[in-house]
Amino acid sequence: MSRIFLQKRGLFFLMIVFLMLLPLAMPVKAENFDRSQYIYDFAHLLTDQEAADLQNLAKELGEARETAFIILTVSGTDGKDIVQYVEDFYDENAPGYDQPHGNTAILAIDMQERDIYLAGFKKAEQYLGDGRLDQIRENITPDLSDGHYFQAFLAFITTSHEYMGYEPSDGSSSDGYSGYGPGESSDGYNGNDSGADPENIFFQWWFQLIASIIVAAVIVAIMAYRSGGRVTVNAGTYMNSDQSRVLNKYDNFVRQTVTKQRKPSNNTNSGGGGGITGGGHSHSGSSGKF
Amino acid sequence: MILHYKCPGCGSDMGFDAESGELSCEACGRHENIENYPEELKSVRFSEDEANEYHCENCGAVLITEAETAATSCSFCGAGVVIADRLSGTLAPAKVIPFTISKEEATKAFQKWCRKGLLTPKGFMNADRIKSLTGMYIPFWLFDLNSKVQVNATCTKVRTYEQGDYIYTETKYYDAFRDINLDYVKIPVDASEKMNDQLMDKLEPYPYDQLKDFKTPYLAGYIAEKYNYTDEELLPRAKDKISGYIESYIQSTLTGYHSVNYTNKHIDTRNKNSDYVLLPVWMVSYDYNNSEYTFAMNGETGKIVGKPPISTSKVAMWFSGITAGTFLALKCVSLMMGGGFW
Ligand SMILES: [Zn+2]
Ligand SMILES: [Zn+2]
Repeated sequence: MSRIFLQKRGLFFLMIVFLMLLPLAMPVKAENFDRSQYIYDFAHLLTDQEAADLQNLAKELGEARETAFIILTVSGTDGKDIVQYVEDFYDENAPGYDQPHGNTAILAIDMQERDIYLAGFKKAEQYLGDGRLDQIRENITPDLSDGHYFQAFLAFITTSHEYMGYEPSDGSSSDGYSGYGPGESSDGYNGNDSGADPENIFFQWWFQLIASIIVAAVIVAIMAYRSGGRVTVNAGTYMNSDQSRVLNKYDNFVRQTVTKQRKPSNNTNSGGGGGITGGGHSHSGSSGKF
Repeated sequence: MILHYKCPGCGSDMGFDAESGELSCEACGRHENIENYPEELKSVRFSEDEANEYHCENCGAVLITEAETAATSCSFCGAGVVIADRLSGTLAPAKVIPFTISKEEATKAFQKWCRKGLLTPKGFMNADRIKSLTGMYIPFWLFDLNSKVQVNATCTKVRTYEQGDYIYTETKYYDAFRDINLDYVKIPVDASEKMNDQLMDKLEPYPYDQLKDFKTPYLAGYIAEKYNYTDEELLPRAKDKISGYIESYIQSTLTGYHSVNYTNKHIDTRNKNSDYVLLPVWMVSYDYNNSEYTFAMNGETGKIVGKPPISTSKVAMWFSGITAGTFLALKCVSLMMGGGFW
């Protein structure tokens, strides 16, 4: 019940913002872009029902993070690089959760080149830095390769939503900007990634619980063991240090061996991080093949 | 021969007083210094056919003794008596550490210790079921050991560095030798058959500056036993007690290496001197839940050892408490690291 209420309220809020921003909408094509549509399946990979489901999910989870989760599928990019294509898409259509060129996370795939690119703008740039986007991309690439597009897109939306629930670490990038979306305090985060890894085992509650149990077991065991009194003498207690010493010693170098090993190479098939669009919007990113 | 201490003033029995370290008479309060007390037991020889029945000098009652008993109290009149036969000749102790903790202090200290137990059951913590508290002089051998150690070892130092596309691992081998002299003095080994060795080891250390030349009056009013094992018989245990110390000393001389492989290790430990001494221990026997627990207290330092009963409910309480606390702490840490609280 309360969720429906929240949804309604969110919708209402959205409409107000729309009305307020409508006159300001400046980009050329932006007027005929429906900012509340999140699924752009130009490559026709989804059934109508799947597209509708994803649209609902993106809308619902997007509200929670104040971010537009956009799925973009194409067959060919007019010769553009996929990164370029996504940047242009953002510049021209000005998507965003509540304002043009607002908080946006885009998953784009090109069926011709079998390219995949993930990008985060504004708030999503901070919360979904290159590192987190890499993780998401690696998670969904197997599904894409197998043709399970719906599952992959679903995972993109849910995982992005989840990761955005974790604070990004305050990196030290220079391109500070402020003011993304109402309700979000502009405490001048900046975009670079390397935030705490949400997949880190340390953050899993079950790991924390097991660790706590082990710590408690060890401490109680020590307490029980020590309850009977413990030995308090050590090597120094009975040693006569005046008479105890090394009388004679030598350390002769005998020989040496050297082995060499090739450095592990870093070429995974990922590449490309974020960048800045032609329109001057900076973003994070992760690209690869599937 | 039975030794018994009569007050020169009033003729009552005298006993050793832990507080003053002197013989004292409870009746008239007279104190007698012990350190100047004439002692000729070392030279005295008693007849070989040792009597197996002794009579109290005070009241004439038969003294109930075991074969090891060297000092006890008459069960009839309570007078402290010392059986001189069992403390003379080769059985004469060289030194003694007298009790400095009196019976009352020992009782209080034991009760305090029981209350401190974090895992002990509530009923036990009252410490109101002390069955007996016995002051005993336990026979110990104090060994002075000398160890001559020679070790050869092949040691390595490992360094890695990068050059171009490669990681190089450079291993340097050294032939190391150490000739070490180690002296350990006054290593205590209990020579009583009855006493649990682990329990006695935990009572250490004894403050050796309190060692006094042995005089029989120190034993007046306490139980004392003669040794069951000779120093020769106990030498292996003394060596065993320092073997770990020797190993760690050897290791401490071979630092700075990544690996140490001993190719030859020669340890020769000899007994330079061994003294027979009596050390003070309060033995506490305690009834709880129909079983008897035994504790020992160092009669000089007050250190208490022995396994108290463990309360399962307290274990459960501590366990869940620490688990919850640690869990919360980990949550907070993960929150600070940016992982979110849940
Ligand atoms: Zn008197
Ligand atoms: Zn008597």
